Amino acid sequence: MSDITVFEAKKIITMNQSRPEATHVAIRDGRILGTGSLAEMDAFGAFSLNRDFADKVLMPGFVEGHAHAMEGGIWSQAYVGYMDRYDPDGNLWRGSETMDAVVTTLQRLEAAMDDDSPLFSWGFDPIYFGGARMSVRELDQVSTTRPVLVLHSNGHLLNVNSKVLELAGIGDDTNVYGVLKDESGKPTGELMEMAAKYMAYKVTGNPFFGSIRPEALEGYAKSARNCGTTTATDLFATFDEDSLAAFRQVTSREDYALRLMPAMNTLDKPAAEGIADMKRAMQDNNDRLHHRLCKVMTDGSIQGFTGRLKWPGYHNGAPNGLWNMPPEQLAELVMEYHKAGLHLHIHTNGDEASEVMINAVEAAQLAHYRPDHRHTLQHCQMADASQFRRMAKLGLCANLFANHIYYWGDQHAAITMGPDRASRMDACATALRHGVPLAIHSDAPVTPLAPLFTAWCAVNRLTVSGAVLGAEECIDVPTALQAITLGAAYTLHMDHLIGSIEAGKYADFAVLEEDPLGVDPAALKDVPVWGTIVGGIPHQAATKAE
Amino acid sequence: MTSTLSTPKSPIDFTVVGGFLGAGKTTFVNQVLRATTDRRFAVLVNDFGALNIDEALIIHQTGKIMKLANGCICCSLAGGLVDAMLALMEYQDELDHILIEASGVSYPSRIMDFARIDRDLRPGLTIVLIDAVHFTAQLTDAKLAETIQAQIEGADLFLISKGDIAGPEAVAATREALRSRHGAVPMVERHPDDDLARFLVFGADTGPNILNARNNKGGVGGESGAHAVSAHYHHDIPHADFGSFAMQAEEAIDLAAFRALVTTHRTTILRGKGILSTTDGMVVWQQTGRLIALDPADDRQVPEQGRSRIIVISPDDLSAVQTAFAALGFVPAESEGA
Repeated sequence: MSDITVFEAKKIITMNQSRPEATHVAIRDGRILGTGSLAEMDAFGAFSLNRDFADKVLMPGFVEGHAHAMEGGIWSQAYVGYMDRYDPDGNLWRGSETMDAVVTTLQRLEAAMDDDSPLFSWGFDPIYFGGARMSVRELDQVSTTRPVLVLHSNGHLLNVNSKVLELAGIGDDTNVYGVLKDESGKPTGELMEMAAKYMAYKVTGNPFFGSIRPEALEGYAKSARNCGTTTATDLFATFDEDSLAAFRQVTSREDYALRLMPAMNTLDKPAAEGIADMKRAMQDNNDRLHHRLCKVMTDGSIQGFTGRLKWPGYHNGAPNGLWNMPPEQLAELVMEYHKAGLHLHIHTNGDEASEVMINAVEAAQLAHYRPDHRHTLQHCQMADASQFRRMAKLGLCANLFANHIYYWGDQHAAITMGPDRASRMDACATALRHGVPLAIHSDAPVTPLAPLFTAWCAVNRLTVSGAVLGAEECIDVPTALQAITLGAAYTLHMDHLIGSIEAGKYADFAVLEEDPLGVDPAALKDVPVWGTIVGGIPHQAATKAE
Repeated sequence: MTSTLSTPKSPIDFTVVGGFLGAGKTTFVNQVLRATTDRRFAVLVNDFGALNIDEALIIHQTGKIMKLANGCICCSLAGGLVDAMLALMEYQDELDHILIEASGVSYPSRIMDFARIDRDLRPGLTIVLIDAVHFTAQLTDAKLAETIQAQIEGADLFLISKGDIAGPEAVAATREALRSRHGAVPMVERHPDDDLARFLVFGADTGPNILNARNNKGGVGGESGAHAVSAHYHHDIPHADFGSFAMQAEEAIDLAAFRALVTTHRTTILRGKGILSTTDGMVVWQQTGRLIALDPADDRQVPEQGRSRIIVISPDDLSAVQTAFAALGFVPAESEGA
């Protein structure tokens, strides 16, 4: 028989309702034997006692049901977002709170470059700059000889300096939608739409494309470890050979600090092919790799005005958003994957998109009943009570984008949704009231990977400006902790393996310095994370460096 | 427009085929792929599987790119158009023509912007297929209306498909719905044959045959003389829906007046091509709908100094255009063997 280790903690919050609290947990072969008091541990036989965490609080490892492994790789490009962010190695990237600060950040990074490669940056979000727009004027202060590119956090817009315009041949005589111009007819360097961005990337290369690389997956595991996460999705994965090999490679190591759940993009191939690809990929599964999720992209984003909305549409009168595929074809995809027994995670932002997908799942259930499919609407930001009621009946889960409330809640109230509908965005309380299984998420790297912060958003519903967006939709701390553990595990069909500390499950723990149930709910996001234990192996978070 | 003649390699012709789900885009692309041509050709498609490609023809496949024995390259749109175009343009020196099969919800005119911004590409036709069975209903479906309307914006030509299934009333309603929104865009009721597809995609590339009056056996229909407009400078048309005429002039043409004429008639002239002896020297004229190019000719392109020759093809009535050209000094062309 293998060795037994018992971890001692100040408190263990098990999320197992039969045995909610303990001080000790026994593990063997990377799995949990049982929880209880020290005295109770003797029942398991001889063990070695590990007291490294005797002054800490253990929780089930957090489960991030909607993030992207790109979080681990994107830090090789410069971050120029508004908020402070930490990269996987714990380095602080200071937020740029003004346009000048963005320029200063880029100047500093440019000065440190020792070749003539392009300077790429990401996370820029001028929504916080009160309408000011970036142009070549700012970016030419960074360099006029090196290509400089700034990708906006919405992913749609790209700012470039005059060097990029010159290389791309974009000038006064370029008359293409998406090449923005100033009053004198000169391109401002702001590029939107595919053609303009294509032209820029054609001359500089595009570091944001391509297969996922093992280094990014290593970074992703570090980011997860830093915030107590032990299982995370990569919720829009290309299942090409290189990506699949990267998933296999990193998860073959017992000390890879993450259970990875890539969700295969279903939109880029016919259903029959995708289903076969997924079934083949599932043969790679191991303790740290769990292929089973299939991703459907329905509409765009609310703040990008590309989400598909029901009447009365966008508060500011912007035209309705975009489908990623004709609704009829999306419904067919749902039907085929549902029939094949696979597990769908369906991106819907606007309520019209949610409606189309609820209808699609209803049709699929009528044609081919599955009692426990756990298909999940992802983001599902605008669903109202009537949609949650239908979701509950159909067995649909919701993974709501709680972080959005903080990051863009002010803009939603003022611009996209208006004060009424904004107050029921990401309606956690309504979802639960109507019996919809709930998870909440970060969509990292769109917002930081940090489940305790996500839980804080769902509990407090505070925006950047300090306003409360829809107090009626606030949930309490235990409920929010459920959503980032067992709740998320349920939406991934993994609740028999993760999400609570109980016998038989993986020995995956979040190691916290304080008790999240004991702190002021307003301070939930500030509970320090020591790191994680994954399959019984401790992984200490990176030291945060200023 | 800049002359393309001085660059070492001509820009790659760029054609976009758009239309909603079920309008027949894949059928059309397959028809184009069946066409025999000496053009080095690439198609960007949503789904390799829907193409009728004989596996034996596939030389090799790496990720999104599939190379065929006949020199064609097929590229998958999986992962998005920007990514796919960047991958395809790695092969740009091996290509004369790119055809994009737009996805069912994308906006073809936005895709044509790739050719408007990249000087290595030359804008061609934006062809939008219209499903006569469903089009009018789609226009009033709240979930689809904006998508459908945006999709028909910027089309150079509408091909109305499934007319045989929809019936004459539905076709008429479809035509009317299109006319009321985009009255200036030519419409063709598509017949599902390869010749029409080949004509629309490769028709512009009839240059050498049209320009050389002494050797015009080829032409619009490729080697098949039965469809070759230029084989006979009369009203031999490549398809029942099309009319054409060829004209010539012995006196120098006023270039400004010519430009004004073809601009005025740009919605009628689906295809126009010619070599002009003008007050400003020899000029090559190429036009696909609203895309007009008048560039200085080099010696290789000038078979006969001092003579102008043009050919015009359209689904519409051409008599007004022909009259206008006559006013500039053109007369119906003589034709060898006619």
